[in-house]
Amino acid sequence: MRYVIIGNSYSGLSCADAIRRFDKTGEITIISDESYKAYARPLISYYLEGKTTDETIWYKDDDYYEKNNYKTLFGKRVVSVNTADKKIVLDDNESIEYDKLFIGPGGVPFVPPIDGFNAESPMMGTFTKFDDAKKMERGAKLAKHKEAIVIGGGLIGLKASEGLRALDMHVTIAELLPRVLGLALDEISGGITAKKLNENGIDTATNDTVTKINVDEAGNPTSVLMKSGRELVADIVIVAIGVRPNVGFLEGSGITIDRGIIVDKTMMTNIKDVYAGGDAIVSYDILNKKPNIIAIVPLACEQGRVAGTNMAGIYREYYGGMGLNSVEIYGLPIITIGLTNPNDPSQTVFIHQEGESIYRKLVYDGQVLVGAILLGDVAGAGILSAIIRQGEKCLKYKDEFLKGNIYSFVIDNEFEIYNINEGYAIRGDFEDLPQFSRSNWR
Amino acid sequence: MEKNMKSIKLTNLKEDLKKNQIEIMLYPSKCDGCEGQEYKSCVQACETHMKEKYGKYNTARINIKSKGNKFFPILCHNCEEAPCVDACMPGARYRDNENGWTLTNYKKCVGCWMCVMVCPFGAIERVGKDHYASKCDGCIDEETPKCVEACKKGALKKIGIRNYSYERRLMIANKLYGPHLKINYNRYKSNNR
Repeated sequence: MRYVIIGNSYSGLSCADAIRRFDKTGEITIISDESYKAYARPLISYYLEGKTTDETIWYKDDDYYEKNNYKTLFGKRVVSVNTADKKIVLDDNESIEYDKLFIGPGGVPFVPPIDGFNAESPMMGTFTKFDDAKKMERGAKLAKHKEAIVIGGGLIGLKASEGLRALDMHVTIAELLPRVLGLALDEISGGITAKKLNENGIDTATNDTVTKINVDEAGNPTSVLMKSGRELVADIVIVAIGVRPNVGFLEGSGITIDRGIIVDKTMMTNIKDVYAGGDAIVSYDILNKKPNIIAIVPLACEQGRVAGTNMAGIYREYYGGMGLNSVEIYGLPIITIGLTNPNDPSQTVFIHQEGESIYRKLVYDGQVLVGAILLGDVAGAGILSAIIRQGEKCLKYKDEFLKGNIYSFVIDNEFEIYNINEGYAIRGDFEDLPQFSRSNWR
Repeated sequence: MEKNMKSIKLTNLKEDLKKNQIEIMLYPSKCDGCEGQEYKSCVQACETHMKEKYGKYNTARINIKSKGNKFFPILCHNCEEAPCVDACMPGARYRDNENGWTLTNYKKCVGCWMCVMVCPFGAIERVGKDHYASKCDGCIDEETPKCVEACKKGALKKIGIRNYSYERRLMIANKLYGPHLKINYNRYKSNNR
């Protein structure tokens, strides 16, 4: 069996591992357009800060590909997929045949038309790849005024700013929404985050955006014009507005695409033997109860695993995921789970705030918890995300949760609902006792 | 007599562990949070051991959470398809397929708290000061996990699955026929150890 995997990142590798778990002999080929072995892509900002280095940024061990017997084709772009003849074509005109194909191309940064933007310039660009981080590292050394503009105050924008700040740049974030992390945070938590950023040398220009980038003869930025009319000096401009599924190369393949790749419960596309996963697919959102693109690492791994298991011939379904994210801004941890800004008036919101260090917000839909923001103190956040994912009724715990006693839910449940007073196995190989399997929790 | 011999053989701890590797068992109802003591024994033992083993990454991997008079030891459950492994962006957490434990390479951990966000047991702790997320590694290179060694209350035990089922049967039998059932526990114990 010849398996071909497009994408050498979270979903692709998780898929390869799942295939290898059940098929020890099949030929697995992993294709990536980058020339690196798999690296931790969200960590490129930590790379600028020095928290991860050239040695530790790699996602897997050095001998990972050899040990699992994966063939690799790095630095090659897939130009087209021919699903009728079951083969893919690379940019050097080589074509590779497959029996089962996995597509995990991830996202490409979205760049709106901004006057003056030129991704070729060493001082301008997007911020999603290792090369981008290296480019910015070089750019920061060349910067004359040590001024940087980051367009977009989402997760990538925030982390990019933190990275640039660590390179001794003064950073301004231009965000169209009224607050940073506008989709995940609310006014209060957004305000606390912005203040934290400002204290550390990152300015936030909210309700504002860049309309024009002024460039010098060499094509490098000198200043930017804001919508509010201000003109800011800029040596470096990063566009971090968001990512879009990287599905351009699938044109003409017959695979259904609606914003992202459409897959069924087994992660198969409309074409037999072609599977997909990761940031480029539309998967079921269990909270909004509709298909949605949720571009986060945990879901990419889960989707890759489900696809890989099915590709190896073992039936498995994917039940959907929900949006959740975690970020730390200068020592302030922020975790957002599920629906944090409810539009539905029937949903109730409970808030607890202790100055500017701790903020908790819970969103209930009737008895059921559907969303949470934890800022400052994140202990037990995973319990909340499990509760939200499983749709457990927990309104009576709202005061405990707000006070931060998230573990009280577990204690009560472990003692009363599961009735395990008499002993409880932390770990075991329950091969013959699947009902004990811990993976049933999710 | 023959029946007795069989049950003794089944509850042989070493053999049981070799074949059926349940290693750490919790008996939360027996945990009293080491009442009156300054430190909780398991937490302290773990901390001491982690200091020796990991140096910088030295926080205790076990945590006792309480509510009213109920205490619950929070430990990593070693999920087979662990959410923390899925969520780990740097690839610091991994599943060791040989020994079946979910382990951590702390050098890679950058403190993004993705694992804290997804662990359904709340078993991963954020260590904000040193920027890493700590989790139990099961003391795989030790004969007995240090927390189990330290627990005097019997809330933590090292046990195999045959022992577990045997213990459960005894317990239920005791509940049902308690006053009438006479078992010479000492006899089993001496054969076990």
